[in-house]
Amino acid sequence: MPGLTTSLLTAMHALMAQQGAMDATTNNIANANTPGYSRQVPVLVESDPSNEGSLLYGNGVQLERYQSIRDELLDLRIQEETSQQSSAEAQTNAMQQIQPLFVTNGQDIGSQISAFFASISQLSADPANLSLRTGMITAGQNLASSFHTAVSQLTEIQSGLNRSVVQDVGKINQIAQQIADLNSQLIPLQTGGQDGGSVKDQQTELVRQLSELTGVSVIETESGITVTTGSGTALVVGSRAFPLQTAMGSSGKQQVLSQGQDITATLNTGALGGALAVRDQVVPGILNQLDTLASDFSNSFNAVHQSGTDLNGVAGGDFFTPASSVAGAAAHFNVALTDPAAIAASSDGSAGSNGNLTQLLTLQSSPLASGETPTDSYSSIVFQVGTLAANAQAESDASSMSLQQLSDQRSALSGVSVNEESVNLIRYQQAFEAAARVITTIDQLNQVALNMGASGGGF
Amino acid sequence: MRVNPNTAPDVLAAIAQAQQAEAVALQQIATGRRVNLPSDDPGAAAALVQNHNRSDVVDQYTQNGNTVLQMLQTADSVLSSVVSEVSQAISVGVQGANGTLSDSNRETLADQVSGTLDSVVSQANMAYRGIHLFAGTATTTVPFTPDTSSPSGYQYNGNGNVNSAAIGDGFAVPVNVPGDQLFQHTGADVLGSLQQLVTALRGGDASVIGSATNQLRQAFDYLTQQRAFYGNVASQINSQESFLQSETTNIKSEENSLVGVDMATAATNLSQAQTATQATLAAAARVLPQSLLDYLK
Repeated sequence: MPGLTTSLLTAMHALMAQQGAMDATTNNIANANTPGYSRQVPVLVESDPSNEGSLLYGNGVQLERYQSIRDELLDLRIQEETSQQSSAEAQTNAMQQIQPLFVTNGQDIGSQISAFFASISQLSADPANLSLRTGMITAGQNLASSFHTAVSQLTEIQSGLNRSVVQDVGKINQIAQQIADLNSQLIPLQTGGQDGGSVKDQQTELVRQLSELTGVSVIETESGITVTTGSGTALVVGSRAFPLQTAMGSSGKQQVLSQGQDITATLNTGALGGALAVRDQVVPGILNQLDTLASDFSNSFNAVHQSGTDLNGVAGGDFFTPASSVAGAAAHFNVALTDPAAIAASSDGSAGSNGNLTQLLTLQSSPLASGETPTDSYSSIVFQVGTLAANAQAESDASSMSLQQLSDQRSALSGVSVNEESVNLIRYQQAFEAAARVITTIDQLNQVALNMGASGGGF
Repeated sequence: MRVNPNTAPDVLAAIAQAQQAEAVALQQIATGRRVNLPSDDPGAAAALVQNHNRSDVVDQYTQNGNTVLQMLQTADSVLSSVVSEVSQAISVGVQGANGTLSDSNRETLADQVSGTLDSVVSQANMAYRGIHLFAGTATTTVPFTPDTSSPSGYQYNGNGNVNSAAIGDGFAVPVNVPGDQLFQHTGADVLGSLQQLVTALRGGDASVIGSATNQLRQAFDYLTQQRAFYGNVASQINSQESFLQSETTNIKSEENSLVGVDMATAATNLSQAQTATQATLAAAARVLPQSLLDYLK
């Protein structure tokens, strides 16, 4: 039969349990805005009952543990979507820098091609005019500088991406090390059957941050989580992190290495994957098309130019510096002529003939080696740049939206509701006050019991 | 189902989205363009490159037409004055063939025709902005220079070639007639006939003067025929010009439909976006501060 002392103990445990529950509430409220925090729920269980003969009586309550409310599958989806979103965003940012080069604004390559042909057309009305000839050379030089500007800015964007590759790898290594450190804190907790709690929250948040940089796979093991890149290169195993390295490749691009192995091509997602995609595929693709255009254009133009004769009746030479190879042709696209008299305008050897200029003008509407006219090939490049930018933007918007939904879902499950915590606070407060009242009552009962001896005078 | 307690990110995203729509509408109104970057509409941006190129090409055609037209008009007015002078020389020849004239009178007439010859030569050597109009494509050389070995007394230094100018797609017009074709054509040699008439007038034989006058008449007829070339080309250019003008208008309207924005639509979009932003902000202001704590006193 339990006595007053047992009841006092039960009430004391109740005070402690409600106090502990209030601690959880306090912690939840404090972390209401902490990114990655999962709300904690105090797990209150009945204490083991005692029995005396046939009588089974309860022993009150005890706080068994705090449970963090999280859905690991949802966290995984968030990590995956984060990688997609970061990749699309990195590509969008880079494309936003590339796009202005291809806006039709009078300075772009397309406008300069038109202006160049306009200068030839003007010269054709007065082929012997030296100032008009100089005008054609200047227009050729302007066309050359529009190619140079595009190439140098694209190269500049490429080296900017190179720098961000190095920075991203640095951040990946830092985060991987932090995850490995948290692994070693988690092992004793998990072997003790405890919830990882805030350590786990921190780790999940770090994995999410890592996903922003590159796509990762996470495997739960007895010694914490194992983190690898999407293609299986180990980043964290147990309490050990495996840092990635960067090294300048032969093409002037920073390559990503893991234990000496070049893994650059396997990194497709996350900000790093996005930067690599633009640096290694998009920009080289555009540069290659510009090179092809520059090389085809200068070859075709020179071939026609050579078939004419200049102001002095001498056979025409190269108008543009001939491209030695397609690669780099846009960067080395230049007007070879300096003497305006050397423009081969004439088709019959006389100074006033515009026969060869007429031939040069037909190049504007004739297909180059690529099968397209100069303007059409340039407009294909504009279309392609526009499409790449629009696709990256659309992908980024779409995955932002689904990421937002996933975060809402996570927040619905794990987020701290201040209203809910306020209600809990009242519940625990009332339970605490009730237990305290019980203690007061038992204290009074004890007084009564003691006073029975003192005032009864029975002894 | 537990409701997402933290609506702040959603509210912020909604505000950002509404403001983005507002910024886009504002930019469209400010620039008057729907396509400011290739990604706004890659197809339209690519078509704009071709549209601008086409516009430049049409400008070139128009400019070529104008330049050529001025040259043609100059050449035509030169020929017009040559024709009237030759016509006068023919009357002089007819007059000289009259047997009643004295030798000194014929000499005067011969001097008169000789003067006409000098004047015709100087006009045949006419240059327009440094371009000799009647030298074929050898526009930098003086086409007719005195040459005693030549029957007409003048040598042609130009060539028989013709320049052409493009004034439309696949539409090029010749811009000159070589000087030898106009002034020294076999069987219709203006300079030679004039020179012959001078010699005949000085010789005094009425029948020789008559046949020289006939030759000059033939040359005159031929020159008049050739002159028609300038009028024909000029009228071709003029009719092409009105076609090019309408094409320019088409190109501009195509550009507008490619990248331009319909102001009424843009203004509607802007006011819709503004309303959406205001509504979002008002909703956020009502939703965000709500808490049970307000009621627990």
